[in-house]
Amino acid sequence: MDRAGSAAQHIDLSACDREPIHIVGSVQPHGFLLALDPRSLVVLQASANAPAAASVGTALESAYPELAALAERYRDAGAEEDGALYLRTVTLGLGPTRQSYEVAAHRIDDLLVLELEETDDASGEAGLDALNPRLRAFVRRLHGARGVEDLCQLLAQDIRRLTGFDRALVYRFDRDWHGTVLAEDGNGVLPSYLDLRFPASDIPAQARELYRRNRLRIIPDAGYVPVPIRPGTTAAGEPLDLSQSILRSVSPVHVAYMRNMGTMASMSVSILVDGALWGLVSCHNREPRRVPFQARNACDVLTQIFALQLSAKVRGEQAEQRLALGAVQGRLLGFMAEEDSFVDGLLNHPDDVLALVNASGAAVVTADRCRLLGAAPPEAEVRALYAWLSARGEADDVYVTECLAEAFPRAAGFADRASGLLAISVSKRYASYILWFRPEVVRTVRWGGNPVKAASPDPEGGPDRLHPRKSFDIWKETVKGRSLPWSLPEVEVAEDLRASVLGIVLRRAEELAAMSEELQRSNKELEAFSYSVSHDLRAPFRHIVGYANLLKNREGPNLSDKGRHYVETIIEAAFSAGTLVDNLLSFSQMGRHALNRVTGDMGALVEEVRRKVLRDVGPERVVRWEVAPLGRAYADPAMLRLVLENLLSNAVKYTRGRDEAVIEVGRLPPRDGESVFYVRDNGVGFDMAYVDKLFGVFQRLHRVEEFEGTGIGLANVRRIVERHGGRTWAESRLGEGATFYFTLPVREEAH
Amino acid sequence: MAALKPILLVEDNPNDIELTLAALESSQLANEIVICRDGAEALDFIYRRGSHEGRARQDPAVVLLDLKLPKVDGLEVLAKVKGDPGTRAIPVVMLTSSREETDVVRSYNLGVNAFVVKPVAFDEFFAAIKEIGVFWALLNEPPPHRGGWPSNA
Repeated sequence: MDRAGSAAQHIDLSACDREPIHIVGSVQPHGFLLALDPRSLVVLQASANAPAAASVGTALESAYPELAALAERYRDAGAEEDGALYLRTVTLGLGPTRQSYEVAAHRIDDLLVLELEETDDASGEAGLDALNPRLRAFVRRLHGARGVEDLCQLLAQDIRRLTGFDRALVYRFDRDWHGTVLAEDGNGVLPSYLDLRFPASDIPAQARELYRRNRLRIIPDAGYVPVPIRPGTTAAGEPLDLSQSILRSVSPVHVAYMRNMGTMASMSVSILVDGALWGLVSCHNREPRRVPFQARNACDVLTQIFALQLSAKVRGEQAEQRLALGAVQGRLLGFMAEEDSFVDGLLNHPDDVLALVNASGAAVVTADRCRLLGAAPPEAEVRALYAWLSARGEADDVYVTECLAEAFPRAAGFADRASGLLAISVSKRYASYILWFRPEVVRTVRWGGNPVKAASPDPEGGPDRLHPRKSFDIWKETVKGRSLPWSLPEVEVAEDLRASVLGIVLRRAEELAAMSEELQRSNKELEAFSYSVSHDLRAPFRHIVGYANLLKNREGPNLSDKGRHYVETIIEAAFSAGTLVDNLLSFSQMGRHALNRVTGDMGALVEEVRRKVLRDVGPERVVRWEVAPLGRAYADPAMLRLVLENLLSNAVKYTRGRDEAVIEVGRLPPRDGESVFYVRDNGVGFDMAYVDKLFGVFQRLHRVEEFEGTGIGLANVRRIVERHGGRTWAESRLGEGATFYFTLPVREEAH
Repeated sequence: MAALKPILLVEDNPNDIELTLAALESSQLANEIVICRDGAEALDFIYRRGSHEGRARQDPAVVLLDLKLPKVDGLEVLAKVKGDPGTRAIPVVMLTSSREETDVVRSYNLGVNAFVVKPVAFDEFFAAIKEIGVFWALLNEPPPHRGGWPSNA
């Protein structure tokens, strides 16, 4: 990175992300490193500060038998654990060169790496035994801690006590890898960073990955001069992988960062929760400071205990939330199952819908419906959002964001209602969504220095280099357009609801499919039946009528009066049976044929029907027609014609005895979205006591000698009108005529 | 002038045959009335094959065709006659008991000349048969023969 190209070259922040810090090729000078052939224990690589006795090419056995024995034991134990393992403290050399070292070993690639870290003789005895009471006390206090911040505070205190650093911070990463200092313990030498936020670029991605793999790092003296490892590459031609090394030299950028912070020693311990990097314990000292390996191990153990406790706490809180949300979900599922449409189950219980994920607004949106609940954005905006969601074409079943405007800029206009969005897709085929909204929560974040880190030109005119920021002064930022984050249980319960909705919808669809299959089958049967009635049942009646007529016409003179009367009766009876079959057929056809609605002129239709009905009116009748302007109607003309035929021919029929029949056809003012038509006559009327029977099949209120008929006409009228979504009724007084009403829904104008 | 063209009645029900003949009788038409009892025989007659192989080469004046017939049904006969340029000009009247709308629609789609639902009332039935016979056998002018030889050539 130091040798980066021309001065004009743009250096962006993510350049830090690409710095290969795990193969930096050097170690810190507070110890030395030996890379050994694991079989022969011959030194293959060594840091430049290793004793001459352990130079490259020598067998460890001949130089330091005690070390070789340790290495052999480590090798033969076949330790599988990731990371360096502390073996023991050894003392090498005599007289003035006598020095104690803490020996740690790890395997990397096909090498055995020994690292010997300088230590004072005395500190070597601070074993785990000495730490035992402290650990026990720590665990006890952790149990008493109320919240996550309490836990963090305890950890900061104990780690600082163990290590003696000036300041210990517990630092938590958020979703964007920005860090916030949750707890701090210090002696006042270094400034307080409590509550400050540090940008993600302070700890680049590959550093975070190293932190995950190697839980503890220490830099005893930021003023150190790195010691190179020789030779620079392994037998495989690669630089030695130092990701497990405890002496690994750190990035020059990081050292500069430490100097800028005014700290000469640092140690950090990774906090891993469920294998993921949750945060760090970050310790600093103004002066250089060494921490014995044993103390560091104790810090690691403390931190792991903390992480377990933390994980348990977080899980406990989530379980509690899951339980609470689960109860809401259970209620909602009950409501949805009760309703014909799951949407109604949701819409009728807005409080539970919102409580399900602690949202302040919600919407159920399909291509033709958009229903809003609670504090949702305006419908037009929700529709635009719906269009955007369905157009994304990604297969996400759940879409979650705390900052909608980042992905959907138009949302900035309604951030007060929907900065947070949780969306579930409940039908792929018909693009349907349930959306939950959360309002913007404006927060002030106190950054530890301006988070916009920049590369600055080298004042000495050298190539640009990446400088970490120099100021850690508090820099306040107002964060807008963000909602409170959606918690894991909230997202999960939304996913669950989605699965349930799909289940309900699927079950409904299956039921409908089964029902429609059944309907189709019975419709087919009915069709076949009706066909055979049409063709086969009519024929015998025709034949009876035909032969009886032939008998009457050709053999009439040979019959007695009685015989002729019998023949007449046969003809009449067979004829009426045949007519009945015809009427039944038309009744069944009415129900089976599809409605084909168009708007047309009602007056013209009535006139046409009136003319047809008149053909059957004998010349002796006097009929006065009073047809008012009828306007237009929206109906199937063929079916409506049948309605009018029945009503008008009834009017003509039942006024038969009047000197002057008066038949009115009119239209009432529309009401409740219906057009109301009526046909009135001054005929014999009927007793209102039987009005309920009037429109039934085969219901007749008159004797057949008075008025012929099969009792199907008005049943047909009602059936047709009801298929159009209208109603029928009648009013009459016996002997004073009757009025028959029918309604047709007014056509809803297309949007 | 050639002999009067026959009227072809395609009907399987003997009662209907008798009643139809009675009606045609009263119309006093001189045309020969040929009766076929199923669709296959009707096609044999029209195409002068099978038992009708030896008949004179002459198209019927009109075919009165029932819908529901054994072997080959009325709609199939209609489709065959109207689908063949050589026989398309023969007038075909569906004379049937069926009131099914689909039958009516399909018949007209196939090119039927008229569709008559046999009325239950005897007078109407008689009147209808008489009118059909008179109209198609006497009044209707068939298309002139074009591009073919006269039938008795």
